[in-house]
Amino acid sequence: MKMEDMSLSGLDNTKLEALAHDVYSDLVEDACLGLCFEVHRAVKQGYFFLDETDQESMKDFEIVDQPGVDIFGQVYNQWKNKECVCPNCSRSIAASRFAPHLEKCLGMGRNSSRIANRRIASSNNTSKSESDQEDNDDINDNDWSYGSEKKAKKRKSEKNPNSPRRSKSLKHKNGELSSNVNPDLYKYNYSSGISYETLGPEDLRSILTTQCGVVSEHTKKMCTRSQRCPQHTDEQRRAVRVFLLGPSASMLPDSETMLENDGYDAPDGQLIMSRLQWDGSSDISPSDSASSKASTNNSESKRPKKKKNPSTLTLTTTGGGGERDKGQERERVVGSGSGSSSSQNALGLSSRKKRPKLPVPPGPSIYDDLN
Amino acid sequence: MGFYCCALINYSKKHIHEHAKSKRHNLAIDLLYGGIYCFVCQDYIYDKDMEQIAKEEQRKAWKLQVFSKTSGIGEKYSMWEPTKRELELLRHNPKRRKITANCTIGLRGLINLGNTCFMNCIVQALTHTPLLRDFFLSDRHKCEMQSNSCLVCEMSQLFQEFYSGHRSPHIPFRLLHLVWTHARHLAGYEQQDAHEFLIAALDVLHRHCKDDNGKKANNPNHCSCIIDQIFTGGLQSDVTCQVCHGVSTTIDPFWDISLDLPGSSTPFWPLSPGSDGSVVNGDSHPSGATTLTDCLRRFTRPEHLGSSAKIKCSGCHSYQESTKQLTMKRLPIVACFHLKRFEHSAKLRRKITTYVSFPLELDMTPFMASSKESRMNGQYLQPVDSLNNDNKYSLFAVVNHQGTLESGHYTTFIRQHKDQWFKCDDAIITKASIKDVLDSEGSVAHIHQCSDV
Repeated sequence: MKMEDMSLSGLDNTKLEALAHDVYSDLVEDACLGLCFEVHRAVKQGYFFLDETDQESMKDFEIVDQPGVDIFGQVYNQWKNKECVCPNCSRSIAASRFAPHLEKCLGMGRNSSRIANRRIASSNNTSKSESDQEDNDDINDNDWSYGSEKKAKKRKSEKNPNSPRRSKSLKHKNGELSSNVNPDLYKYNYSSGISYETLGPEDLRSILTTQCGVVSEHTKKMCTRSQRCPQHTDEQRRAVRVFLLGPSASMLPDSETMLENDGYDAPDGQLIMSRLQWDGSSDISPSDSASSKASTNNSESKRPKKKKNPSTLTLTTTGGGGERDKGQERERVVGSGSGSSSSQNALGLSSRKKRPKLPVPPGPSIYDDLN
Repeated sequence: MGFYCCALINYSKKHIHEHAKSKRHNLAIDLLYGGIYCFVCQDYIYDKDMEQIAKEEQRKAWKLQVFSKTSGIGEKYSMWEPTKRELELLRHNPKRRKITANCTIGLRGLINLGNTCFMNCIVQALTHTPLLRDFFLSDRHKCEMQSNSCLVCEMSQLFQEFYSGHRSPHIPFRLLHLVWTHARHLAGYEQQDAHEFLIAALDVLHRHCKDDNGKKANNPNHCSCIIDQIFTGGLQSDVTCQVCHGVSTTIDPFWDISLDLPGSSTPFWPLSPGSDGSVVNGDSHPSGATTLTDCLRRFTRPEHLGSSAKIKCSGCHSYQESTKQLTMKRLPIVACFHLKRFEHSAKLRRKITTYVSFPLELDMTPFMASSKESRMNGQYLQPVDSLNNDNKYSLFAVVNHQGTLESGHYTTFIRQHKDQWFKCDDAIITKASIKDVLDSEGSVAHIHQCSDV
């Protein structure tokens, strides 16, 4: 039959079926041919064997479905002793305690009270001294040991009258991964306070604006607690300032006037709002979850809001010493005797500033030699 | 020597053989698949240069096809082929593992770092999101961040850990540190909400993703980072003025859909079984149980805003009462439903434990903006287009919360290998049945668009 003569309407059922069958067989044949080519090519190019795996290895990875064990055949609850290294302070922490540690290490969370965290601008000080302190009232935190890995010093006796649970920790940049800590920044013995004899007037001035500073009669060292430390009186503090800095330095900065309250709430909230717009047609970022606001349910947040205690949060900036951009770095002095304080607010500022880090060299990769 | 090449016509009738002999055209090309046959070698041959040309031409032809433009698939998928060197390596290393249906590779437990089950359960859901897994395992993230605090890199590392074959649980301490560093509002050692963590994590990942094609991300109109490609959908909000019936429409991006539940202090719209939606999604549970589709229907119902919430109507130039309705303008490839079980209203704080049944397969068509338009145009019952898979989704992860508002524990069910489900309880991964999954309470459910594969 010539093509022009064909007209489907003129054909009866059997002929139609025969035609359909022909079309179908052609299609199946073509598909099979394609498969044949694939296999042929795989064999010819030498990668046909790739599908084979080592049966022994494969057995090791079979899923186990038995009571009392997980899919790897392991018994439950054998992972109690896992440890990890904190990226912030480089200490080895038990994995199941890592979250509470990190909270304190980064200086956040409502149960940890913090002490002055100060950085002296490096350009203005030849003799650096660092006083980073962590007042840790958490009774679970009995495994503090200090220093970076270079200076792994364990805390000494806790019987020091100046600071029963005080110890110095590394300078840590809130909200940033810690870089290598310069051990030269530490001029004093960790466990017992600051030795005022070795410090210059600039350093003393800095220290005295953030710490109690009263010299202990036993150890001849300065108290490293906050300026509201209950162990010493304001009189004592005034006296030591006169003694060390001269009569003009007798004034303690008044904590009241430096009070800053929860003004830092706003930046945190606004951080979420100011994120990426989408499609240009909306001001809202997906993290606002427009859908969750759409419902008429009153609930806005799912967690209980953290308690904020404005009266205990005090900020000061040092007068002397290096130039410091107030917007960037602030010292935080928290009354150690006054219970919990909100720590999140103040960190809202520092988290927005990201310092450029040195580029990290790429680690060795298994693909290196494949190129 | 010239290169003559003729098409393979009627191979079985040997025409081509005679032709090859007589004309000495020793090479022929197969018209169906483009294979080249050499009469001297008497076999099909594979020449690198010819294949290069063929690939290029195929690529061009693909682009011309209509469907490539509409589906957005720019390139025809070509399977990976090893290079000579790779072949050598593979030959020398016969102890290979393949990920088969009964294989544990891809599954791994996560140590609880101290009330971090909320993070673990979301991590399990993300590492079992097929598109995300494929993206990271094919090494598509090229990091441009200077520091080593890129969350996307950490995510990449996480996939490496999951597919390493290690059996001991992974310790996600770096991940926690990075998330707390970049999402301050989350930080703090206390029990947290898994859904909140998901949104925060997606947000940080999105911020850290540069457009891996080289364009700079964070351009409001053109973010095509992997997070946006997979998770971002568009929610359409139509506010209709009751007086002039003018409609004001806005479209907002979303990463999740938060659904109210019956039993909350806001009244749940009573729905009769059989109203549109339930026919399409065969709910296998006894009537009476709230279904996910019920929640979705409630979510997309027109809501009268009441006299205390009048909207300024640009048509009437005055404040009028109005109705508001939400529909899906564009569905993401992976959609997350969040059931609002934790109620924090002025009167009370509690957890709503109402059972909500959810299906393994879900057709989102009734909830789309386009469906709403058809309904408004009078086409009430749309024929179910069984060939169109665009709006068909399948469930692949369910996060559950056991306990109370103040203290509880999160676990996740995830789907691997089509129909295998596993329960992820921090460090313990066990096999689960589909029944276990469907009977669970459900706080967050992840669904994935069905592909034809």
